[in-house]
Amino acid sequence: MAVTEVLTSSAAIPEEATPARSSRLWRRLQLALPVGLLALVFFACYILPLVAPIPKPTGGDVLNSLLPSFSPGHLLGTDPNGNDILSRILYGGRTSLFVALSVNLLGLVVGGGLGAIAGQLGGIVDNIIMRLFDVLIAIPSLALIVAVSLSLGPGVGNTILTLAFFSVPAFARISRAETLRLREQPFMVAARLSGTSIWRIVVRHLAPNIGPQLMTFAMLGMGIVIVIEGALSFLGLGIRQPAPSWGNMIFQGQLSLSGTPNLVVWPSVALFLTVVGFNQLSEALRARWSAR
Amino acid sequence: MSDVAQRGPAPRVVSAVLGSPALHLIGKRLLTAVPILLGVSILMFVLLNLIPGSAAVQLLGPEATPDQIARLNEEMGLNRPPVTRYLDWLGGVLHGDLGRSLVSRQPIADVLPTRLAVTGELVGLAFVISLAVAIPLAIAAARRPNRFFDKVSMVVSTGGLSMANYVLAILLVLLFAVRLGWFPAIGFTPVSKGLGDNLYSLALPAFAMAFPLLCFYARFLRSDLVDQMQGEDYVMTARAKGLGPWQVLLRHAFRNSSFGLITIVGLNISGLIGATVIIESIFSLPGIGQYLLQGILTRDYIVVQAIVIVFAVVTVLANLMADVLYAVLDPRIRYGSH
Repeated sequence: MAVTEVLTSSAAIPEEATPARSSRLWRRLQLALPVGLLALVFFACYILPLVAPIPKPTGGDVLNSLLPSFSPGHLLGTDPNGNDILSRILYGGRTSLFVALSVNLLGLVVGGGLGAIAGQLGGIVDNIIMRLFDVLIAIPSLALIVAVSLSLGPGVGNTILTLAFFSVPAFARISRAETLRLREQPFMVAARLSGTSIWRIVVRHLAPNIGPQLMTFAMLGMGIVIVIEGALSFLGLGIRQPAPSWGNMIFQGQLSLSGTPNLVVWPSVALFLTVVGFNQLSEALRARWSAR
Repeated sequence: MSDVAQRGPAPRVVSAVLGSPALHLIGKRLLTAVPILLGVSILMFVLLNLIPGSAAVQLLGPEATPDQIARLNEEMGLNRPPVTRYLDWLGGVLHGDLGRSLVSRQPIADVLPTRLAVTGELVGLAFVISLAVAIPLAIAAARRPNRFFDKVSMVVSTGGLSMANYVLAILLVLLFAVRLGWFPAIGFTPVSKGLGDNLYSLALPAFAMAFPLLCFYARFLRSDLVDQMQGEDYVMTARAKGLGPWQVLLRHAFRNSSFGLITIVGLNISGLIGATVIIESIFSLPGIGQYLLQGILTRDYIVVQAIVIVFAVVTVLANLMADVLYAVLDPRIRYGSH
């Protein structure tokens, strides 16, 4: 994924120039809009199917197949198997969000931790950890993920594990760079000289200081992982039919693009809105935390 | 490298080249590339050996007798210990032999050049499109920051960044191929049948790959330009000596900002190559990405292994090139004062 590589590998994204006439309202909106959008997405995926009369995402009646959008009882229509598209989007969204959250949490904890340890200890530990990650980063992400997923097999758990191969090194790089920046700060030197253990340094001194950067990246990572998970399912290596996922819905729809474009358009819209939400949230957090 | 340089005509140039930090950097980076590539090959070998279901079973189908499977394994050398197989394979790769496809029995090295050419053209085209649009866009936006054009183009490009390229590809096909019929939906016309037709067949896939990139470049360059225009002393000097705003922007700020852009472009090459896996399969272009996907779907792990190594080599070389270009172009890095 082009954007992925760009965002993970460019440590040099310059801070946005502060707008000359940015009002407080605009600043608030910048944070409130993506938060609101994401809250809506989470609500729709997790709560809406519980309270609204939405059919099950699988096991539909073939007699109802390929209904157009805005049919009675099926707001967005049905797919070739007679399953309700809206329902598949919502349940598929649960999968996407769950996968993205797990992958980023893994990246944040494992990658962030290893990066901080590597940066703090330096020397041979640093070399071993970072060279291992260099190997993973040298493979274009989609090629790596496709190869890993092939050997692990499809399914939600394996998809998470697969995508972690890509997120952990990215988090580690950022965390290490931030740690190196902090290493010679007086409070860090003091902690080291007073014999604080490495675990305590990482958890008590480093984590609070590199947390904001990692969180900003994690929000960006949510969008990236959702896109890549979609790509994986699109290629038939992630979440397999009949279980719904935005990626495999888009793939299925693509097979009959001229006849029933709504099969592609609706999951694409869901994917796009969610990714926009996370990207904008990341941007707003970056602006907020770098302004301090 | 040094042999060639020493035979050069002008001794002063030679010593300057030999002593240049850029060359030193190339040497150092090439040395670190070796263990990385070795690591990639080992990782791939281990991963692909973990694949459930043997290649022989996959090839022969479910009705194969154990005897047939054993014979095929013997024939393909799959029953030898993994370490021997890896070393054999590595030896072959170092001699330019990437192995034979398990499915088609064709030597991979024979298929690769034509496929690499297709992918290379696609990636090259995507870069050309993205830069050709992003640079003028960013300059126009940076000319009057936070005015209408700037705001609109930045909002659009933020949206573009969130667009998955496979979604964009499908929507482009839907609009321009299915509805309007302006472009072919799938397929590839080789250059031998005319450059125009060739470019025409690559237009949609190249644009689908270029668009998110274009948005990223435009945003990157725009914010870098605005930073330069607002904070740098040389900009003030240029203004003070009476240069017009366009001249300051184009001749001074843009030249400075282009360094960062070059680095980013170099870093993107690997991502774009990865993206070809999915884009080439949507448009059924006979490139290397499609070959990788075919290899994956048929469990032709020799093909997968070979292509991932090729990908990794290209990635490492691209990153190296970006580093060196940056060092050569930026005097602060060239002379090691920064």
